Amino acid sequence: MTSLIGADVARTDAESKVRGEAVYGVDYGSLGMLHAKLLRSPIPAGSITKLDVTAARGLPGVRAVVTGSDAPVARGGAVVRDQPLFATSVVRYEGEPIAGVIAETEQIAKRALGAIVLEIDPLLPVGDVEAALAPGARLVHPDWKDYECSLEYPRAGNIACEVTSDSDLRALARIVAQADVVVESEYRAQRQYQAYIEPKSAVARWEDGRYVVHTASQFPFNVRDQVAQFLGVRVSDVRVIGHHIGGGFGAKLDASLEIYAALFARHVGRPVKIVNERSEDLLSCGCRENAIVRLRTSLASDGRILAREADVLMDNGAYSGEVPLMASLPMHVFGQVYRTGLARVNCRLMYTNTAPTGAFRGVSGTYLYFALERHMDECAVRLGLDRRAFRLQNLLQDGDCTLVGQVLDDAGVLAEAFDRVEQVAPWSELMRRPSTPGKRHGVGIAAATWLTNPGPGTVTLKLNEDGTLGLVSGATDNGSGAVTMGVTQIAAEEFGLRPEDVIIQMPDTDAAGYDAGSQGSRTTHIVGRATRTAAAEVREKIFAVGSRLLEVDPADLNIAEGAVHVKGAPTRSVPLSKIAIAAMSTSGPIVGTGSYATPLPSYNPACANGLLFPVFPTPTYHVHLAEVEVDEATGRVTVLRYIVAQEVGKAINPTGVRGQIQGGVAQGIGYALYEGLEIADSRYRQRTLETYRLPLAVDVPDVEILLLEHGDPAGPHGARGVAEPPIVPVAAAIGNAVSDALGKAVNQIPIRPDEILALLSGDDPIRLR
Amino acid sequence: MSTQQSIFVDAIDLRGALAALHERGSDLTVLAGGTDVMVQYLRGDVLPRGLLHIRRLPELKERKFGRRTVIGALTTHWQLVTDQDVLIRHPALAEAAATVGGRQTQNAGTIAGNLVNASPAADLLPVMLVSDGVVTLTSSAGSRDLPVSDFVLGRRSTARKPDELVTSISFERLAESAGEVYLKIGRRHAMEVAIVGLAARLAFDADGNVTDAGIAIASVAPKAFRAQLAEKRLVGTKLDDESMREAGELVRQSVHPIDDARATADYRRRLLPALLRDAVTICRRRAFNRGEATGHAN
Amino acid sequence: MQIELSVNGVPTRLDIEAHATLLDVLRGDLELTGTKRGCDEGECGACTVLVDGQAVDSCIVAAHSVNGCAIETVEGLARARGALDRLQRGFIKAGAVQCGFCTPGFLITLTAYLREHPAPTPEEIREAVAGNICRCTGYSQIVEAVRASIGEEI
Repeated sequence: MTSLIGADVARTDAESKVRGEAVYGVDYGSLGMLHAKLLRSPIPAGSITKLDVTAARGLPGVRAVVTGSDAPVARGGAVVRDQPLFATSVVRYEGEPIAGVIAETEQIAKRALGAIVLEIDPLLPVGDVEAALAPGARLVHPDWKDYECSLEYPRAGNIACEVTSDSDLRALARIVAQADVVVESEYRAQRQYQAYIEPKSAVARWEDGRYVVHTASQFPFNVRDQVAQFLGVRVSDVRVIGHHIGGGFGAKLDASLEIYAALFARHVGRPVKIVNERSEDLLSCGCRENAIVRLRTSLASDGRILAREADVLMDNGAYSGEVPLMASLPMHVFGQVYRTGLARVNCRLMYTNTAPTGAFRGVSGTYLYFALERHMDECAVRLGLDRRAFRLQNLLQDGDCTLVGQVLDDAGVLAEAFDRVEQVAPWSELMRRPSTPGKRHGVGIAAATWLTNPGPGTVTLKLNEDGTLGLVSGATDNGSGAVTMGVTQIAAEEFGLRPEDVIIQMPDTDAAGYDAGSQGSRTTHIVGRATRTAAAEVREKIFAVGSRLLEVDPADLNIAEGAVHVKGAPTRSVPLSKIAIAAMSTSGPIVGTGSYATPLPSYNPACANGLLFPVFPTPTYHVHLAEVEVDEATGRVTVLRYIVAQEVGKAINPTGVRGQIQGGVAQGIGYALYEGLEIADSRYRQRTLETYRLPLAVDVPDVEILLLEHGDPAGPHGARGVAEPPIVPVAAAIGNAVSDALGKAVNQIPIRPDEILALLSGDDPIRLR
Repeated sequence: MSTQQSIFVDAIDLRGALAALHERGSDLTVLAGGTDVMVQYLRGDVLPRGLLHIRRLPELKERKFGRRTVIGALTTHWQLVTDQDVLIRHPALAEAAATVGGRQTQNAGTIAGNLVNASPAADLLPVMLVSDGVVTLTSSAGSRDLPVSDFVLGRRSTARKPDELVTSISFERLAESAGEVYLKIGRRHAMEVAIVGLAARLAFDADGNVTDAGIAIASVAPKAFRAQLAEKRLVGTKLDDESMREAGELVRQSVHPIDDARATADYRRRLLPALLRDAVTICRRRAFNRGEATGHAN
Repeated sequence: MQIELSVNGVPTRLDIEAHATLLDVLRGDLELTGTKRGCDEGECGACTVLVDGQAVDSCIVAAHSVNGCAIETVEGLARARGALDRLQRGFIKAGAVQCGFCTPGFLITLTAYLREHPAPTPEEIREAVAGNICRCTGYSQIVEAVRASIGEEI
């Protein structure tokens, strides 16, 4: 039987999905279920002067109306406890929950929302990061000092988190003053909405003194923890059961509706289901934050980078969640691809009266790399150097250190990735390509270093009496195939089984050990490795039983094709089913466990203040190239060609890997060209999928994929994290390509046709709102 | 639906539909394909007291290709896209219909629905304006005809009386020596509400002079309209650079676009001259190569 | 009010709410949850079903308007005794299914399209699915799935 590692095996849940049988979070229901809807603030900031739910409570079919006074805990939050479940005295963003109606049907609940009397005295909203910083700005959280933190970090007033590098400012000033060339630019990015096709939902019930929550979550254990925190119970008083996820991309890592469903279920003593409509999902989602990045690079005329300074303003939104960790990212991004010389980084994450921002594949990396790579192009152009050559000159090499003091042993892969792209798309040829009449042709290149999230996972394997393998873990497959391909193939390979003989059920926080969720491309790497550890234990037990049955030394046995064989005498074998049954009456049922968390690479903790996210474990390296055509009449951009060179360690399933790269690039194209959450007066201008445009099949080219497979010794079969980073350099590559096409700097995400037309006609650039 | 008892009428023929409208037209929202009405209803933008379902009406599904083309109100976008006679006589109408949403929208949405919804961005409307579109409105009292330009009054507003139904729309077919086109500007390559929509129909003589010009633009005003000054400027010319430039300027000056969630007013104004140039150039090419297949000019 | 329709070949009579959409009826009354709700405004195509052979967004079709019609949903694609059809098999093989939430809508749109155009080019396939959004795959493997299902080289 050929190896499953590196095989294009179909994912084990594909059949149920094409039949329409897979049960997603929104499909799940419970007997006797009631339905809830949330009353959400219609304005971004104000004091609640009246909230009267009496009329709503009295409507036929309404079981209960719940408000802030029913919330067990005043405030919760992952990093700082700044967020109430319901707004009580003030509202801080449009869409903030104020009350919940639980009724017999969704229709009744929705109608009852209209019967709630709500009066809010508007306050002038703190609309954006610059307004939040302005002297005398109103505080979004006047009581910020009283908020509990699990660990302290720099925050004050509207600054939700601040990270400042420890830099020699005098030396820096000297370098800047003496440098041959200093390039300074500003880059802006709007929010991006994850827009998973399955809206968020949750079903909960109160049973035997515990909350039981059903949800399509990427991170059931996190949902468990957040439900427990907000409802004031122990984590073991909450059980979370996962279901198929209709897309998450980071937005379904945090608890959202689950907490409300749980609270409501206990309140009414019946199971409660709550589902977001698309418009409210968009409004309340933790989107990728909008940001302003200012970079200043000091250069020698021969192309050496002497110093690099970065000042970043990120929009936290009204409540923090885990976004304070994002404030650390500039310290990583600005020093882990190119040498920087002396560096200074400051990042401020600002409270504003907008929806709390959150995690979306690539997090802040997508705009930080945009800024970095646009800046590299601008530096090269200013120096009169070739943009690619300038990059190669300054690339990190094996053993170089990042700004946080992390050593990148294999940073030389970056140069290799550039080479691989060069082989299929010679740069000098692309530079010579002429434009067709009425169009402008442009090419852009971008590189990135990304991580594999190190969070812990654990797997228990059990050998079933029929010779199949049960795999118990809290891991989730958010669609990436990490579980239904990666982990499955790794497990099956250990015992010579077919993938369909590895039985994996939906995560259950009661039954499975802790898993850090489908984020940061960790699952195949971490859970795959834990699987191999568990498999080693199971194999040992199998060999112990097998050695008795076959009367040989355990060392003389191997496992292949679902059976134990004597080495060198393959006809002497016992199927695994017999082993399992034999074990019952001797050593007991055969199980094995394995746990893993990536040991963190060392770094310099004194490198900066406020560094909540200290290192980039199991790094991967990426080079993207984009070739575009800009229409001079309409300003529209067509991506003609897109190439990705990506270090994956080992492609456990090439079709799956391809799907992640193609999909990530498509999301990046959406980010760069089509999507854009404009905020005006603290409100989103785009409210539904009609105006928030996701890329369609006619908008996305086929990506050319070049895989580099330098195995990570710590990874299962050498696998590194694959799925998150393909989105990270896309806006950078496209931004560079469009700027090249126009001969003008395009420094805002999304790149808009009206901005392009303005640049083409020589007007001032249009400042994004 | 509102909390009071709602009225439903599932009409099976025109007579029945008109009788219902005669009796309680002001309480009834007419529902054909529903691709606009249902979206608005689900959003809460409209709260109909009753629905008149006209999807079945056989009388509204015919198409006649005589001296004028008569298209039944319930003709779907997809039918316009695929009907061979429409493709020959009204290529721009087929072209415009092909840009309305995706296949799902085109299967359900109707020509009359697009017209009566009267979105400022409605794709079929500019084409109707350059094709001498005339709306036939029928009530139990009889029929009347109204030029499309008089039928659409403004954003989401038409001259249809509560007891009337749009039963058909008639057009002048494309002449032998003429070419027409519909160009649509959006962000993505499909499923767009037009940022600007431009329909043009130009007729030429054997020497290549423009003998007649129709240019209509959507999404730059509360309703689509004909750019008459630009049209006049082009008649009698051979579409030389100077004439096209001046016509482009005239078009740019004639529009009153707004900033909205899709695009800025400035953007809309900026791209109009080039859009006009493209449109009239295509019209000439098509006029002189009548065998040329139309594609989506999106 | 009462409606009668055929759903995947099964004659069905239902008492429905006046305001119900076809999607409400399929997922609620009939518990056929294979058809998905993604946007409630006919933008994403996750709710696509066939009504008398034509692909429509069921989230914006009034249920009473399909009285007397034949509805086909994803649950009806697999043949009798459950064997997957060629398109479904193509999707599985080509990696066109990731989270799978958009998959029923794509399968239905493509089923109707392939009945009319049995041998589309990749460009034609992309145009045919312009009304279906996928957020996971970036579409390439969906195009390949269709090509594989009609026996063409990927």
